[in-house]
Amino acid sequence: MAEVILKNIRKVYPVQDYGKRKGWKVKKQATEKQRRTSHLQITDEGVVAVQEFSLDIKDKEFIVLVGPSGCGKSTTLRMIAGLEEISGGELYIDGALMNAVEPKDRDIAMVFQSYALYPHMTVRENMAYSLKIKKTPKEEIDRKVNEAAEILDITDYLDRLPKALSGGQRQRVAIGRAIVRNPKVLLMDEPLSNLDAKLRNQMRAEIIKLRKKINTTFIYVTHDQTEAMTLGDRIVVMKDGFIQQIATPQEVFDHPSNLFVAGFIGTPQMNLFDAELVLKDGKYYVETPGISVELAAEKQERLKAHDVKPQSVTLGVRPEHLVLADQGIAGVVDVSERMGSSCHLHMSVNGKDAIVIVPTEGGIQDYVGQTVHLSFDGKVAHIFSKETEKNLEY
Amino acid sequence: MKKDINKSAEIKLLITRIVVYAILIFLAFLCLFFFYLMIINSSRSNAQLKGGFTIIPGGHFLENFSNAWHDGSINIPVGMKNSFIVAICSAVLTTYFSALTAYGVYAYNFKLKNFVHIFILAIMMIPSQVSAVGFIQLAFKFNLTNKLWVLFVPSIAAPVVYFYMYQYLQATLPLEMVEAARIDGSSEFKIFNTIVLPIMKPAIAVQMIFSFVGSWNNYFMPSLLLSSADKKTVPIMIAQLRSADYSKFDMGKVYMLMLMAILPVMIIYIILSKSIIKGVTSGSVKG
Repeated sequence: MAEVILKNIRKVYPVQDYGKRKGWKVKKQATEKQRRTSHLQITDEGVVAVQEFSLDIKDKEFIVLVGPSGCGKSTTLRMIAGLEEISGGELYIDGALMNAVEPKDRDIAMVFQSYALYPHMTVRENMAYSLKIKKTPKEEIDRKVNEAAEILDITDYLDRLPKALSGGQRQRVAIGRAIVRNPKVLLMDEPLSNLDAKLRNQMRAEIIKLRKKINTTFIYVTHDQTEAMTLGDRIVVMKDGFIQQIATPQEVFDHPSNLFVAGFIGTPQMNLFDAELVLKDGKYYVETPGISVELAAEKQERLKAHDVKPQSVTLGVRPEHLVLADQGIAGVVDVSERMGSSCHLHMSVNGKDAIVIVPTEGGIQDYVGQTVHLSFDGKVAHIFSKETEKNLEY
Repeated sequence: MKKDINKSAEIKLLITRIVVYAILIFLAFLCLFFFYLMIINSSRSNAQLKGGFTIIPGGHFLENFSNAWHDGSINIPVGMKNSFIVAICSAVLTTYFSALTAYGVYAYNFKLKNFVHIFILAIMMIPSQVSAVGFIQLAFKFNLTNKLWVLFVPSIAAPVVYFYMYQYLQATLPLEMVEAARIDGSSEFKIFNTIVLPIMKPAIAVQMIFSFVGSWNNYFMPSLLLSSADKKTVPIMIAQLRSADYSKFDMGKVYMLMLMAILPVMIIYIILSKSIIKGVTSGSVKG
């Protein structure tokens, strides 16, 4: 149970180390081409994997770092764990500066993607390992291990070796090994990625339950936005080493700060259309061929507060917010996916792909090949700058 | 028509099996025949042995044993003890320190890491006889002859064993496991001893056998460095019996000593072979 503060954290890898992983011809400095093609910033110092990372994690908060591969989320977690050196910035756990403190002295525990269980030890020995090192009395070790095993429902497997367990059970043991120490901060690095879809859903629910039971600070890394949305009190969306947005799941979903976040959070992805933001009689309208929609009052206020000028913009509307109408954005349906309670129509709108979710109540109409018109409400339109890709409301 | 295809497939399978078994039997015969021959010969008298080759056992087993055991020029229990000390110490030191070095190079990032790895491998290309000349000179200059530890201490540096251990670590030890142990509060040395070594058990078992057998059978270095009777190892004693003059030369005795010499090796093999087969890492990480 502790507050974790990250102040302007940076991680820079020497070009040689990073290049080896990428299969580059390794030199002390990156070549022009390597600088051009790398999605990460390459300075004379090296490859910058994480930069300007500042975050205050409250005591007992569940924070999820989410982003695509190579965005720096795992690197950040490993810096918090002490497994990676911090190139710049400050890390505080429970008020104490931790930059140079060894992992074992940070009072943290970590669950790895690959479980990282000790294969020659039984489940009980795996869970008791850290306590034994701390020279905890045997009775206390037994009590703590049994408690953790009960929480995770692995009491029956305590005397088995990891090889005799299924993937889900192994991951439970890995979590058990972490919680048995009662750490200040529990770090989880994509703990569900190795599990199949069904087990992942189950384990996700287990983690939510676990969180209520053990009541500590969680920092969870995932590339799966569903996990991020369902688990986190707050989500940190990352891209190319930078934080894109820090907010609650609902805020991130409702008010994405830029095009990347808008596209990354939400399934299916948000639809993006070229549009014009126009000002008529002091009111903002968004216009795209076939439709002109007046933005909702709160959006009007925010745009006015930022003194946003009429301009060409990218309009974002989530598939579930688009509706079929008599008039509106015209598109030809290419594919119709029946999902049971709804139907996903994949269509081409002015040469771009778009998806609309249509409820299936009252029977499914076969739209494939037909031209349909889409409309939306002024409340659900997201307006992004074409230049900066930022949400113009914020 | 369909029946014919199945029948010809069955015949093909049968022929393949016959050929495979024939080859395996032949190879097994090649491996075991010489052991059998040695056991037979150890039960035959010198005169019978000079008479020629046979596969029928003789009746002089105990006599040969007694002759060898009571031979005045050699002391078998002392030789066995010396050989055992050298072989077991070599095996332990070689495997432990090679595993430690391999782990160090594999798990840590440091400057010149690749150079260190390549340098150790390059040493493999130098024949041991070449470096032995210098070592023997050193041993004589520092008056280190007739000391058993001189034979096993250099085995700490074993590039071939290092390479084997390094390869094994690459295949079996995910670094996440080491990191997990670090977070659990283990010191670096403790991680090696309590996590890495047990995972390396199969590799250690294999290398222990090789190292034990190599040291047990080693004649070259002990013959140059050991001269006093109480320090001699078994291979020196076998050579001593073989080089005895015509009047004392007894082939039965030599075969008996050879038989006695291979027994500890076989016992060690039986003990360690289980560990080789056991795959201890399965189930530790995904996959």
